[in-house]
Amino acid sequence: MTGVCGCCGALRPRYKRLVDNIFPEDPEDGLVKANMEKLTFYALSAPEKLDRIGAYLSERLSRDVARHRYGYVCIAMEALDQLLMACHCQSINLFVESFLKMVRKLLEADKPNLQILGTNSFVKFANIEEDTPSYHRSYDFFVSRFSEMCHSSYEDPDIRIKIRMAGIKGLQGVVRKTVNDELQANIWDPQHMDKIVPSLLFNLQQGEGTERYSRSPSPLQATEKEKESPAELTERCFRELLGRAAYGNIKNAIKPVLMHLDNHSLWEGKTFAVRCFKIIMYSIQSQHSHLVIQQLLGHLDANSKNSATVRAGIVEVLSEAAVIAASGSVGPTVLEVFNTLLRQLRLSVDYELTGSYDSCVNIGSKIIKEHEERQLQEAVIKTIGSFANTLPTYQRSEVMLFIMGKIPVPGVHPSLGSANSGFEGSRMIQVMLLKSLLQVTTGFQTTNMLTALPSSFLDPLLSFTLMEDAEIRLLVLEILVSLIDRHDNCPKFSTISIISDISVLKLKVDKCSRQDNLFMKKHSQQLYRHIYLACKEENSGRPHFETLYTLLALISMELANEEVVVDLIRLALAMQDLALNNEDSLPVYNRCAVHALSAAYLNLICQLTTVPAFCQHVHEVIEMRQKETPYLLPEDVFVEKPRIPKLLDKLEGEVLFLQSKITEVLGGSGYNTDRLATPYIPQLTDEDRLSKRKSIGETISLQVEVESRNSPEKEERTPAEEITFETLKKAIVDSVGMEEQERERRRQVVEKFQKAPFEEIAAHCGARATLLQSKLNQIFEITIRPPPSPSGTISAGYGQTQTRSVPVYEMKFPDLCVY
Amino acid sequence: MSMEDYDYLFKIVLIGNAGVGKTCLVRRFTQGLFPPGQGATIGVDFMIKTVEIKGEKVKLQIWDTAGQERFRSITQSYYRSANALILTYDITCEESFRCLPEWLREIEQYANNKVVTVLVGNKIDLAEKREVTRPKAEEFAEAQNMHYLETSAKESDNVEKLFLDLAVELIREAKQNTLLNNVASPVPGEGKSINYLNCCSFN
Repeated sequence: MTGVCGCCGALRPRYKRLVDNIFPEDPEDGLVKANMEKLTFYALSAPEKLDRIGAYLSERLSRDVARHRYGYVCIAMEALDQLLMACHCQSINLFVESFLKMVRKLLEADKPNLQILGTNSFVKFANIEEDTPSYHRSYDFFVSRFSEMCHSSYEDPDIRIKIRMAGIKGLQGVVRKTVNDELQANIWDPQHMDKIVPSLLFNLQQGEGTERYSRSPSPLQATEKEKESPAELTERCFRELLGRAAYGNIKNAIKPVLMHLDNHSLWEGKTFAVRCFKIIMYSIQSQHSHLVIQQLLGHLDANSKNSATVRAGIVEVLSEAAVIAASGSVGPTVLEVFNTLLRQLRLSVDYELTGSYDSCVNIGSKIIKEHEERQLQEAVIKTIGSFANTLPTYQRSEVMLFIMGKIPVPGVHPSLGSANSGFEGSRMIQVMLLKSLLQVTTGFQTTNMLTALPSSFLDPLLSFTLMEDAEIRLLVLEILVSLIDRHDNCPKFSTISIISDISVLKLKVDKCSRQDNLFMKKHSQQLYRHIYLACKEENSGRPHFETLYTLLALISMELANEEVVVDLIRLALAMQDLALNNEDSLPVYNRCAVHALSAAYLNLICQLTTVPAFCQHVHEVIEMRQKETPYLLPEDVFVEKPRIPKLLDKLEGEVLFLQSKITEVLGGSGYNTDRLATPYIPQLTDEDRLSKRKSIGETISLQVEVESRNSPEKEERTPAEEITFETLKKAIVDSVGMEEQERERRRQVVEKFQKAPFEEIAAHCGARATLLQSKLNQIFEITIRPPPSPSGTISAGYGQTQTRSVPVYEMKFPDLCVY
Repeated sequence: MSMEDYDYLFKIVLIGNAGVGKTCLVRRFTQGLFPPGQGATIGVDFMIKTVEIKGEKVKLQIWDTAGQERFRSITQSYYRSANALILTYDITCEESFRCLPEWLREIEQYANNKVVTVLVGNKIDLAEKREVTRPKAEEFAEAQNMHYLETSAKESDNVEKLFLDLAVELIREAKQNTLLNNVASPVPGEGKSINYLNCCSFN
């Protein structure tokens, strides 16, 4: 100022005269338009003078503020705005300084009008894109002040809303102004975010409050408020803010949200928290969404010792957010999500059992409410489900394995259970984790059962320890059902009944794929055994039998080939025997139920096989039962009030399905009668199963059998195709007992290959690679015929590499081939 | 810089339990009135007052924070850039005094470490209801290395003194600081007043 005065002497400089002229005599008249045009023209033609104009205008404005001449204040501000708009080309830097000083001045005033005026100017300024960054400009005050205005508690509600809205717009302005400029004050710093975000949330929440309760006295006022709706403005601003957040800034933006929800106890209510995070998830760039999930997970962990309702709230939010995030990228955090959720589940079970958080020092007053923990557990399980539903198949089976690995299965997974919870604890955890698993498997459809359900998953799932408890048993069965059901046939079998014509069910069936066949080869016996043993459990109820029926039906729909069908029929007959002989002295209800189950299932499978004679037999038996023993049919057993006799008389004759009869009728249709004639006996231990099992080896061709005599190790099977007269003769002449013995050994070998872990086989084979090589050479020297293609389906995966290449005898077998 | 209408600008933040009279203190100082039936502050409140001390214009930005727990996160964000904190309690409310150590922890955590803190016992007009004795409070303040003052926003006792003393102290500190740092600009203007306190960037 002093400099200005010095050079101009007594004469008022032109710019000052121009500025003075825009002010009317009476402030009511408003800006003198013509003179303002002159000033603008001058400023445009002499941009170097702009700084001085700004300084002088602001000086006048300060003076007017101090003298409470608000009319002139408004005029000065209007002029500043217009100049800013007109001259925003270049080098407005210094002018902006005085402009901002004026805004600041207005914001410092305690008159709401001036605050709003200042804010509006600031917003206009914020929308200008400056081409030269200003390094020293600071928005600290603006952020602080606008945030404060967002919380305005001015008495007059209308003005209060106006001030708050001004605050929101101001914050929006600051964000717009700074967000794209790396050189300027970093708006994403916690010191700013911690003010901006809670201020926005506060207004968002206020809006929700008025909408829901509409506290305003008159409805008219309410509609007026609706029209202005600070909440809507806030939401828009919040979305804009989040949309601009780069990878590194997400954390700073989300943390205040979490803190705000903590401080205002908004997790319990859920709705607002969910709304917030929906806004967040939909607004941020989708590639960052996993960061939000991570932060939520971290927050959940941090609140491990907080009350169950808070945790349930966070979990709920997490479930909503995760679903949205999944469409973007949650890849890196998938297992982390499940890990955290499972950990929370486990913690909750512990809390419920022990009745206290571990360290009750800080929160001694909090009492654990069982039902709240239960709700939390349900919420966690639901979240696991909804999250899993968004994953692609391969990740889902990963998750299934992951959860399975967490289930304490004595014998398979040695004690994972925490020490203090004991038996009941591990039971509860089993239940919880199985429920989670069921959620994950629901809707799971895989084309390749073999890879999706490896032994490491099925073995523990089908183990005995998960068989004893009725609830757990049912869960396991339900999991199996949802795993096997790949064509949504499950609902069609949800009730168990005799269906006279299954075409009404409109079943969807695909041809059983090769992988499915392999899967059944590997695991069918386990499944059968599981079903059989489940029937034997005394504490099975109606849901168990219904699920068993579903499971049997689905196996025959999804995974059946001829061999499996035969086995399933044997299984059904074995179940009938089980109920008939009653070695385990089951209650009458269970025996009737098993009868009914086997009847319903045979009725289904006979129609699936479409062998008329078979159908007829089953039909006859069922008719007979309807007449004489209706309590052996599902219609009488699986109802609200089962109509069953007190005692089950000895059943015989025509109410029973006859193995011999079925064998006979199916034999005519080309089924393997040998096997059908052998009653199904579940093998109780692995050892037993290995030595006695009757099912697997049957389809192996003669050649293999012969060869296995020559070289008992299976990996040497390739040359088995070479049949000499000698061996054939020998095979024919050999006694049955001898053959039986051979078959036994062969089965053991096959079994070993199908059951043993890959590594073991690999190691075993690797050691013998050289031996094999020499032996092969030896054999090939004898016969120089190319080997015929392998006839057996067994272990095609292993055998193919060798057989496909014709000059096998010349080939050097690399190590890998023996696998 | 000749355009600035002040020589110093300081940010003062008032903190303390809900209902100890923070807002009343600020109102009394900035507007000279005692609002009866003052409601709870929402979030933060802002007032400005320019005073003259030994011929120098000092602008005081006063941020009055909500005492309620639920606003803690927003109020904490205001400590960070404060030059001075006025930690207030109610002499007729033992509880508000007992919470002081908790507030000190907050200060330590969120405010910058050069912040000037004054302990204020408010409501001395209600002497007959006093629950916290003066010596006890003085002892506490001394142990924590704070100034101590007892005020009455209602009777306007010591309110001016509180803010003016604080301003003097802040000027003294600012001058000392400029001497130490040998910084050319003696004016801790907007955005610069906290530059020498920038160590607060960690949480």
